[in-house]
Amino acid sequence: MLFDAIARKLAGDAKAIAATPARTLRNWSYTVRAVRRGELPASAVLKVVLSTIGATLVVLALLFPIYWILTAALSGSGSSLYTSESFTLFPAEPTLKPFVWVVGDLILPAYTVSAGVPFTDLAVVFQTPGIELLDASEFGVDRPSEFKRFLWNSLTVAVPTVLIAMSLIVPAAYALSRREFLFRRKILFVYVLMTQVGGGLGVALLIGMYALYVQFGINDNKLALAVYYAATAVPFNTWLLKTYMDGIPVSYEEAAVVDGAPPWRVVTEVIIPMSTAGLATVFIFVFLTGWTEFVVAQTLLGTENYTLPVGLYALVDEYSIPWARFSAFALTFASPIMLAYLFAQRYIEGGLSFSGMEG
Amino acid sequence: MSTVTRAADRIESVPFLDRGDASLLLVLPGLFVFSAFMLFPVLYLVGISVTNADPANLFAGEGVVGVLTFGDAAFVGLRNYADVLTDPQFWNSFGVTWLFVATSVTLKIGASLAIALVVTSDLVRGKRLLRALIIFPMGLPPIFTITVWRGIFSSAKFGLMNQLLSAVGFGSVAWLSGRWTAFVAYNVTEAWLAYPFMVIITVSALQDVPEELHEAAVVDGAGFLARFAHVTLPSIKRPVLFASILTSAASFQQFLIPYVFNQGGPARANELIVVYGYREALAFQEYGRGAAISIVALAFIGAFMWLNVKKGRLADGVSD
Repeated sequence: MLFDAIARKLAGDAKAIAATPARTLRNWSYTVRAVRRGELPASAVLKVVLSTIGATLVVLALLFPIYWILTAALSGSGSSLYTSESFTLFPAEPTLKPFVWVVGDLILPAYTVSAGVPFTDLAVVFQTPGIELLDASEFGVDRPSEFKRFLWNSLTVAVPTVLIAMSLIVPAAYALSRREFLFRRKILFVYVLMTQVGGGLGVALLIGMYALYVQFGINDNKLALAVYYAATAVPFNTWLLKTYMDGIPVSYEEAAVVDGAPPWRVVTEVIIPMSTAGLATVFIFVFLTGWTEFVVAQTLLGTENYTLPVGLYALVDEYSIPWARFSAFALTFASPIMLAYLFAQRYIEGGLSFSGMEG
Repeated sequence: MSTVTRAADRIESVPFLDRGDASLLLVLPGLFVFSAFMLFPVLYLVGISVTNADPANLFAGEGVVGVLTFGDAAFVGLRNYADVLTDPQFWNSFGVTWLFVATSVTLKIGASLAIALVVTSDLVRGKRLLRALIIFPMGLPPIFTITVWRGIFSSAKFGLMNQLLSAVGFGSVAWLSGRWTAFVAYNVTEAWLAYPFMVIITVSALQDVPEELHEAAVVDGAGFLARFAHVTLPSIKRPVLFASILTSAASFQQFLIPYVFNQGGPARANELIVVYGYREALAFQEYGRGAAISIVALAFIGAFMWLNVKKGRLADGVSD
């Protein structure tokens, strides 16, 4: 139900994006005709065009570091970084080799299955087909990165983080938004205080945490790390979702109650569908907590359990950084999040608007 | 009366949603987990800070009993605090941290306001696309972004910043080996890391500014600057103030930038306070000292946040 709604919205977004060029063209031709007929002063149009170009330049300048690192990834040796040539807008010999190095082999080996036929000496032997999607050695990559292991570690940290955190955050946000109870104001006050401090405090607390975790023997445990991430995510996200829920008019719930809906149905049929945007925002923030955190993961986890950010930083040598590999690794790691961001942008903006900031 | 109280009143009038403290049960699990992972380490940190703990004695004990006795570490009273507070290194780090908060927050607010004004301007077309692009960096893992910026500020002649400088006719600068050049690099990087968050909040605040106010001001003959000062700024003050407080807390606790750039160098000159505590503990094996530094830092950030929430009246309707 919730996912249906999200899927419908995403489909709508995709259609809108696909229709954009046509719409833009139509608007342009409309404007051009209006100018020709003298209904619109040309200077006004020029002003808009120049401002748009200016704004685009500002945005491009801001995003330049990302582009810079992308060219480094594509240029194979990272030549645009530390060679005698200066920066070029496009890599001279673009290659995907660093990305192949990151992804490594994608080969499902062929298995031989044999089953003896009873009462005979015969055996039936099957050979499952091997599926070869990508063979790194064909591209001259001998020792691919350990990306897949880091990815698995990151997933096994981030998914429990999201599950635990959401089950803590959603009921609390609902209660804080809609009910009146003992200590409600005090708890909200503490949460507001902790909003930004939550994650960052981790480093200040790291010494205490490290000592504790080592003594309890859970310092190399991914689940313990996930619970910790969920805990740090609680104050900010609970408060964010609560302010979002405050913006939902109570009359919807009243209507549902009048129609005879039990409380749990009010929650599943009114509150949850109406806070999709808030939930999406919180979901992404919580996921990112587990997906991108570095310092605590690096201090607590052993080499076997390195998550993606730690694995990424492990590529960095004190004196030299293998830029091509580093950036290919980082882009592969970050691109799913960036895509999710692009699509969820409207929800994130809505969720962060602090419209209900007055408690 | 705030929206919530009104909402709560209305809910009360609904027969079976009756007012009950049972709702506290919905909040408690989150509060409990948060306290277990945040407050307990703080208490433990206080404990470590009054011992002479180091890796050899702290982890000597066995299991749960070892946790309670802090291993074999001995109680030394407030000696760690006395040591830290008389150490010039601490005061240097303390000063640099507050300076960093002041400069980086100013830079962040200025840059984000400017960017937000650009992407909400009536003269610009395709604003939605621009806004979608602009929050892109928020999805990048900080460790990646910061390492990339370390490359940009590379002291080598072909770091991006030095190429830019030489393109406009300056010589190259050894960014990360000079104290203040490194400090500038920290600030720029911090601003770039924080701007998407600030811009989102500022943009939505700007969109909430009533159009009639602007029209009225235009009728009264107000120019762009006058309108900005008298219409826009007062309307967006609260959300922007709020974002600034959050982001200044983030600046105060900045760890990764100095750590990745040059370990708070050169020669420990730019160790922001969290880096200082971390390095004392985990690089120089002085757990007790590191814990004392962390506690002092926590006390300051706690006081700072408390003051801001009180003074900035952020928790209106929450604290009364």
